[in-house]
Amino acid sequence: MKKTLLFFLFSLITIWGNTQTYYVYVAAESEDEVALISFDGKDAHLEQRIPVGYIPKEIEGPHGIAVDMDGKHWYLSMAHGNPYGYLYKYSTSTNELVGKTTLGLFPATMQQSKITGMIYIVNFNLHGDMVPSTVSVVDPKEMIELKRIETGVMPHGSRISPNGRWHYSLAMMSGELFEIDALRMDLNRTLNLDLKAGFITEEELAKIKEEESKHEGHEGHENMYHSTVKPTWVIPHPSLRKAYVAGNGCDEIFEIDLEKWDISRRFETGKGPYNVEVSPNGKYMVSTYKSEGYTGIWNLETGKELVRIPNTRKVCHGITITPDSKYAFVSVEGIGGEPGTVDIISLERLEKVDFVEIGKQAGGIAFWKMEDK
Amino acid sequence: MKKIIPIFTALMLGLSMILLGQQQSPNIKLEISPSPLEVDVEGQAKIKVKAFDENGKEITGGVLNFLNLRDEGAVPTSGIQVDPDGTVTGRVPGPYRIVVMWAHLDKNLFKTEFLKANVKFAEVSSVEIKDFPENVYSGSVIPLNLELKDAKGFPMPESNLGISTSNKEVAEVDQLLNLYAKSPGRSSLSIKTSDGKEELLKMTVNVLKNPVTTIDISVEKSIIRTGDVLPFKAIGKDRKGKIVKDVPLSYAVSGEEKEKGAGASAMIEQDGRFVAEKPGTYTVIISCGDKSAVRTIKVVERNVSREIKVMGQGKVQNKHTSDFWVWEGVDGKDYAVTGTWGADGKAYFWHVTDPSNITLIDSFQVDARTVNDVKVSADGKICVISREGASSRKNGIVILDVTNPYDVKQHSTFTETLTGGVHNVFIYEDHVYALSNSQRYDIINIEDPKNPKRIGKFEIDNPARSIHDVWVEDGIAYSSNWNDGVIMVDVGNGIAGGSPSNPVEIARGRVEGDANHAAFPFRSESAEKFYVIAGDEIFPTYFFTKPNADMDVFAPKGYLHFMDFSDLRNPKEVARYEVPEAGSHNFWVQDDLLYIGYYNGGVRVVDVSGDLMGDLYKQGREVAHFVPTDPEGYVPNHAMTWGAQPHKGYVFFSDFNSGLWAVKVEPQVKEGFKN
Repeated sequence: MKKTLLFFLFSLITIWGNTQTYYVYVAAESEDEVALISFDGKDAHLEQRIPVGYIPKEIEGPHGIAVDMDGKHWYLSMAHGNPYGYLYKYSTSTNELVGKTTLGLFPATMQQSKITGMIYIVNFNLHGDMVPSTVSVVDPKEMIELKRIETGVMPHGSRISPNGRWHYSLAMMSGELFEIDALRMDLNRTLNLDLKAGFITEEELAKIKEEESKHEGHEGHENMYHSTVKPTWVIPHPSLRKAYVAGNGCDEIFEIDLEKWDISRRFETGKGPYNVEVSPNGKYMVSTYKSEGYTGIWNLETGKELVRIPNTRKVCHGITITPDSKYAFVSVEGIGGEPGTVDIISLERLEKVDFVEIGKQAGGIAFWKMEDK
Repeated sequence: MKKIIPIFTALMLGLSMILLGQQQSPNIKLEISPSPLEVDVEGQAKIKVKAFDENGKEITGGVLNFLNLRDEGAVPTSGIQVDPDGTVTGRVPGPYRIVVMWAHLDKNLFKTEFLKANVKFAEVSSVEIKDFPENVYSGSVIPLNLELKDAKGFPMPESNLGISTSNKEVAEVDQLLNLYAKSPGRSSLSIKTSDGKEELLKMTVNVLKNPVTTIDISVEKSIIRTGDVLPFKAIGKDRKGKIVKDVPLSYAVSGEEKEKGAGASAMIEQDGRFVAEKPGTYTVIISCGDKSAVRTIKVVERNVSREIKVMGQGKVQNKHTSDFWVWEGVDGKDYAVTGTWGADGKAYFWHVTDPSNITLIDSFQVDARTVNDVKVSADGKICVISREGASSRKNGIVILDVTNPYDVKQHSTFTETLTGGVHNVFIYEDHVYALSNSQRYDIINIEDPKNPKRIGKFEIDNPARSIHDVWVEDGIAYSSNWNDGVIMVDVGNGIAGGSPSNPVEIARGRVEGDANHAAFPFRSESAEKFYVIAGDEIFPTYFFTKPNADMDVFAPKGYLHFMDFSDLRNPKEVARYEVPEAGSHNFWVQDDLLYIGYYNGGVRVVDVSGDLMGDLYKQGREVAHFVPTDPEGYVPNHAMTWGAQPHKGYVFFSDFNSGLWAVKVEPQVKEGFKN
């Protein structure tokens, strides 16, 4: 009884004691909309629905979203164009479009580097031929794509080390982790996760490459095989030289020791881990299990999953965590005509505290700001 | 208290990450020289860069990286070469930008600047006059088509040149580079550099006496309707009455409007074909040098307007409607299928035998947000619907059994190589032509609809290719490819030995505006012409720059382009149909009548009989139009007509906001040639 009362009191303090309002942008991929939502520690609100794109009778697919470091602009990758996708730049003060540039096929996740100021975006090329794609580097001031750095087949996840120097991305189909030097704008290291995880041997990989090279019309497919890991997301630790990779195909999250460039820990997860984030205080790891519609919260120190929370709808997608490490905002795509959803999970109470409905297929999600109430 | 400190620390850490996360190395200044940079072709220059901190102190130990960009954008170019040490080599004349990136790897400092660069043309070294006629007759005007090259052989834009003739009584050149042959005789034509120092070209112009003394004009009619193309034939004859064959004839027209203030609008091509947009009296002038002949004709109203009667509506008011198809079922009754857009993945089936009583009879739901396209096989047994927005991101097509449209059943789904979303499909002789990821179309054999097999594909060799639609008729696939225009492919016709498993391209025609969204072939019933109508889909590029934009303000644009494909090797864009206030979408031609879903312009019916030339809308060729509005529509009272299909005397069309409609174009009451 005493414990219950204490927990109740703690909950009240947590709810009423929260003095911040949080703002998050979320892209609705099948609605061609971006939603601005707020959360005051108790209730979430849909502040604004912002239509995006330029062809109202075609779904252009807003996928990745990021807010720049000074919070004055947000950037949106549009998956489909004619044929190349776009990067759009919007003002956070008006939510009006202020710039755009063309990228590669199906541009997706992105982040801005603290030291270069450039935005690094993966060209996912989700439905194209199984050939290596690229990471685009965009100068957000000029809105010019400066360079495309070739990585692997279906690159996804695009996150940068806290010091801004190293960019990490994955290749879903070739099962690789890439490290790009953000300063030099060149590929620095590659890690084959299937090899490191023991899902394939060097000999088997060499055989696959040899077979692919023999097939007419498969030029450029040498590094293509159906990865068992099928990595979809990577997030560097906020303070340690480690990164966490979601193995969507093998139901595991891998901790990568960035010094040793090797797998240092493995976490068995729910089905289809898709996105993974680490709280800014380094305590929690949060992952969406896309195939089963749950979000898992882990204690990074102990390596234990603390709770597995059912999402409001199926097909959970992205995560952003508030800078105070209190809340995780999780986008949930839904199916068919269902609205997209943003679930707000308290990392202190380890439960979903509210949700808000937005346009269909909620996907890319980015934290904007927190303000005093 | 012990617990509070780490929480507080973590909070401050998080906050500091936001507050400190400012722009990279803002106080570093790069001093770049030379700026701007100029270099000759094959010449070299060296970029020098120094970095300074906020106190003006030079920072040493930085590394440099250079990227070469075209002046207008992102793609690296081979026109200018920048080596890692900053050496620049000019390759192709033109403006460029070089990105100068400076980084200090140990100090984590970074700065970029853009350097303007110009690879200079060499001096102009040669001039050629293209298409200069062999014989120049007095009284004629010859445009000088100059082709300039610099000393390195690169084509140059026109520049200030000194152009003169030695005998201005014989020939003279104006500022617009037209040569006037004034009288028989010889004159030299000289082209010099702008400073007059170097003569680039000198030629003799021999102006001959015009042998033509009379011009005979023959024309079949003297009264025509607006939009009718009337060919004028003219022959030049000398004083003995002999035909002179090599003289150039030029055609012009002047007009007098029928209605005061309306203006008279007509055109005549240099092959002698005349067409008028407005009634009036027009005089065609055919000249050869200083000789000319005239013929006056009368143009009257086309008078093709017909009443349109609304028969019925199959209401879809809770979601957007996309494409549709009407067909005669195996039981001899008539049915329709409509797709849905941005919704729940449903297709609706309707009984439409009585268009005044369109009845929903079944629906079929798939894992998708948009069923953009629906098609039914010619035998009325199989329906194929496209999927976009599947939750699994594996879209593809769904093949349905519509033998009994009251109880639609699924044969199979097919997603192989179609995961990226199928926007449009077509069924032709047991094969489905399905767009894959807007990059190509795949050809899928559905002889056994429960076991579809991919047997072919067609895509063009353009990295920036983008396809939007495909339509198959007489064994030829007509695809719509935005910037690449209409492409005709033999998929069984035999003209180029193609088949579904071996599609062979036979022709293509780029479309003005580069917005080709749909194509429909038709062989004119009344003229010996084969046209492909290529439709635009255009929305203002600023459509969604602002939240809560007013839909009416940003209305769609675009029109239908008539491509004369009578000569497959030389297709020509010859006419258009453009409703000024609306934007084109999908369309159909039957019996020389064109039926268009014209988005906010509703459904349009247009007379496309005879030879086509000019702007058909302005020529009064529109037979009827109807703008569907539904006060209870998904967007109330907001027409956005998707496409139209004639069927058994009725016109069916789907509307994005209100569902399926049927109208009847009433028989013509007024006859043409009424003045």
